[in-house]
Amino acid sequence: MNSTAGIYVHMPFCLTRCGYCDFNAYAGLDGLKPRYLRALEREARLAAPSWDGAEIASVFLGGGTPTTMDPEDLGALLRTLRTSFDVAVDAETTIEANPDTVEEATLAGLQEAGYSRLSMGAQSFDPAVLRALERLHAPENVRRAFHAARAAGYSNVNLDLIYGAHGETLESWERTLGETIALAPEHVSAYALTIEPATPLGRAVARGDVPAPDPDVQADMFQLACSMLRDAGYGHYEISNWARPGYECRHNLGYWRRQPYVGLGAGAHSYRDDRRWWNVRPPEEYLTTVERGELPVGGEERLDPGDAYLEEVFLRLRILEGVPSSWIEDGRADPYVASGLLLDDGGALVPTERGMLLLNELVLGLGAGGAARTPL
Amino acid sequence: MWDVTTETSRIRNFCIVAHIDHGKSTLADRLLEATHTVADRDMRAQYLDKMDLERERGITIKAQSVRLLHDGYELNLIDTPGHVDFTYEVSRSLEACEGAVLLVDAAQGLEAQTLANYHLARDAGLVIVPALNKIDLPAAEPEQRTKELANLLDCEPSEILHISAKSGEGVDELLAAVIDWVPPPVGDATAPLQALIFDSMFDPYRGVITYVRVQQGVLPSRARIKMFATRVESEAEETGVNAPEPTPVPDLGPGEVGYLVTGLKDVHQAKVGDTITLAGKLGANEPLPGYREPRPMVWSGLFPADGGDYADLRDALDRLKLSDAALHFEPETSQALGFGFRCGFLGLLHMDIVKERLEREFDLELIATAPNVEFHVFRGDEMTIVHNPAEMPPGGDHDRVEEPVVYATIITPAEYLGAVLGLCQERRGELVDMSYLTPERVEVHYVLPMAEIVFDFFDQLKSGTRGYASLDYEPWGYQEANLVRVDVLLHGEPVDAFSTIVHRDKAYTYGKQMTERLKELIPRQLFDVAVQAAIGSKIIARETVKAKRKDVLAKCYGGDITRKRKLLETQKKGKERMRRVGRVDVPQEAFIQALRVDDGGSAKVKK
Repeated sequence: MNSTAGIYVHMPFCLTRCGYCDFNAYAGLDGLKPRYLRALEREARLAAPSWDGAEIASVFLGGGTPTTMDPEDLGALLRTLRTSFDVAVDAETTIEANPDTVEEATLAGLQEAGYSRLSMGAQSFDPAVLRALERLHAPENVRRAFHAARAAGYSNVNLDLIYGAHGETLESWERTLGETIALAPEHVSAYALTIEPATPLGRAVARGDVPAPDPDVQADMFQLACSMLRDAGYGHYEISNWARPGYECRHNLGYWRRQPYVGLGAGAHSYRDDRRWWNVRPPEEYLTTVERGELPVGGEERLDPGDAYLEEVFLRLRILEGVPSSWIEDGRADPYVASGLLLDDGGALVPTERGMLLLNELVLGLGAGGAARTPL
Repeated sequence: MWDVTTETSRIRNFCIVAHIDHGKSTLADRLLEATHTVADRDMRAQYLDKMDLERERGITIKAQSVRLLHDGYELNLIDTPGHVDFTYEVSRSLEACEGAVLLVDAAQGLEAQTLANYHLARDAGLVIVPALNKIDLPAAEPEQRTKELANLLDCEPSEILHISAKSGEGVDELLAAVIDWVPPPVGDATAPLQALIFDSMFDPYRGVITYVRVQQGVLPSRARIKMFATRVESEAEETGVNAPEPTPVPDLGPGEVGYLVTGLKDVHQAKVGDTITLAGKLGANEPLPGYREPRPMVWSGLFPADGGDYADLRDALDRLKLSDAALHFEPETSQALGFGFRCGFLGLLHMDIVKERLEREFDLELIATAPNVEFHVFRGDEMTIVHNPAEMPPGGDHDRVEEPVVYATIITPAEYLGAVLGLCQERRGELVDMSYLTPERVEVHYVLPMAEIVFDFFDQLKSGTRGYASLDYEPWGYQEANLVRVDVLLHGEPVDAFSTIVHRDKAYTYGKQMTERLKELIPRQLFDVAVQAAIGSKIIARETVKAKRKDVLAKCYGGDITRKRKLLETQKKGKERMRRVGRVDVPQEAFIQALRVDDGGSAKVKK
């Protein structure tokens, strides 16, 4: 097997749990960290043989909050990955960071350990919005952490933003975008806040204690982000992602281009050849399974051609590469082109800004979600 | 085997008339016990209510008769249907009796149904045995209620029995009064047979079983019989009495009440109110008076929520019709709801019961259009009967329209009189008269459009009187009214299922209510959707469902892709279940919610 793949490593540790987050992350499990690191290394060695021949083009440490771990331990982890897998010399290596858990020394340590790309959860520069999201950091911390990253030598930094939380106005969002642009990161991710039912925020919304985000306001915010980031020289390359030319996240593009990836750690997903599988979610169960010398697979699904086609269509639309018009039944795309949701760009149907916001409609309207119509 | 030669002098045929919840079924239970008709170990509450629905709702839908033996007398208790929808059936049951126990709750006092049924019983020439029930309730006011009842009946307070059907107190005295006061039936055994059908039901094993009262002549167990109204002849298979389980008897003589297994397979051949006689020369020449064809008062379109269930719905209606001679239906096609049936019912309760049986017994999910009455539309001398708003000419293409009205009896505590009068006026009622039953309670008579009753009148009456007022009504002919058809349009396309016929003065209110409701129910589309109400081409109300702008999930990383795909699949299935009106996708649920009249009407009668 000769292909490129990515490695995702999941760190389920957080300082606190944020009300909106439904990731597999926990506060107060710090005691498990040493065991968890050993288990990750063991899982890497267990999983690696079946990835023989795949060149690893990216490594992504996500969570949770990976920067709650010691940089030296994280360096050791990366070395284990490099010895177990065929990791390319110039592989993109990203680590997610919480502005509260990084100082210049830590960041220098991470840089030295081999993590060359930093993704920082800024979320907002509006203190009221940060409170609504239950993020503990102050906007100044983001600026300080960002400058610390630069000082530590990071030349590829992403800032994550969330918009549409209760109380956020279009003006406040404009200031957040302005502050972000002023810091001049290489990459910006901006997500519309999504209410997940199984979170404290989801329950508060269900009870009616907090209003659900207004989709029209979020649409305005999205369009504002599109124009401000475009004017600042960022390229829009996925619905929620913008980058300076050449700084697109290779790891994430791998997901969206349906390239293989291996996930390590509690609850991590892997994908290869139309099979997707995932590790058990509870950290304790993950640890004991790996410690018995077994791969901690918790479940899997196999994509039939219809599933694969549907994924291909919506992912291509998401990354604005578009769907070849030859895939689409005659006439189906016409109303969307006519109403300005799709552009027919020389044989590829690409969503416009308005179309991106209505991507589900487009996917279903184009007739995906039925049987496969095109062999992939 | 029963002694069939019971002298008519030792027979008493009686029924119990009462308002809902005044204890009729409980009294019937006590009578079964007191006369040892049902062994204690077999006793269960509401013994005579056979259908689950009857027990749940605490109402009697089917008339039953049961034979009680007491002190050498044969007492036939005929349990009458307990709802205004079945007034005609009640009148036929009363025809089968010589006496009626008028049962009144000692706490509640006289109610509209008590009065309506009392008048029916009196008109039928029945001897009334008045009884105050629930005298052991803390809230009972026996003195006050006795006075009220004595006033109504124009009798001495001492003639009114005091009982508790729950504890059995006074039940023996009541039995004695039935024997003493109710006259025995009279009838010539040698005359040609005339037997009145007061109920008719379909048994899957035995076919059509009728409940009959023999007026004259003898109905033998096996005989060739003839129905007057339908002119159908048949070989009857068995006569019998409910004691309380069906028990065959060799024949039913004059004055006797029992069942007849007719040998027929369709209840429409043996209708309530018809007369049975013997076929051939021995038969009577004339039927008993008073037969009437059952006429639907309320119509509604019933559509399967899943279009694929159409054939199942048709079969289910065919099956129900076997046992329900009053149910009418004909195929109807709606652009919005697909294939279904326009169904005619005796009233709102009848409609609810049929819907509930279709859903429960036949496992069908239904969408019902708003109930409407039957209109007479005149153009010149030509009259068209319209029981579907779609058939009403739009925008005044007719000379005049008549609508059915009812004569309504309402009894209310005096303190709520204002609210009752206000409601009736608002509902286009015409006051006939009112009188004080006691200083605290008023009886009001109104002529009201049936259409207003159908539209949440009962709920409004109850909420305006904190539940204290009661209502009964009977058909009262047709009256001209300024009626118009209001259509509802989505993005310019009329939605036939939402069309309705209302008084011109209420068209705007209806239009506004429907457009506002639909604005909330119709999901946002890719374009602005105008929701309009119109009379003919004139728009009277408008709302806009703004175009949808965002439906995308923000994040889509490794583990999210599966979730996202499943979400899309769910969304696709949801879209497939939607109905299309022009370019607008409308979910089933929007139809169901929008068509839900906030009355529940008779469905809430029990409360």
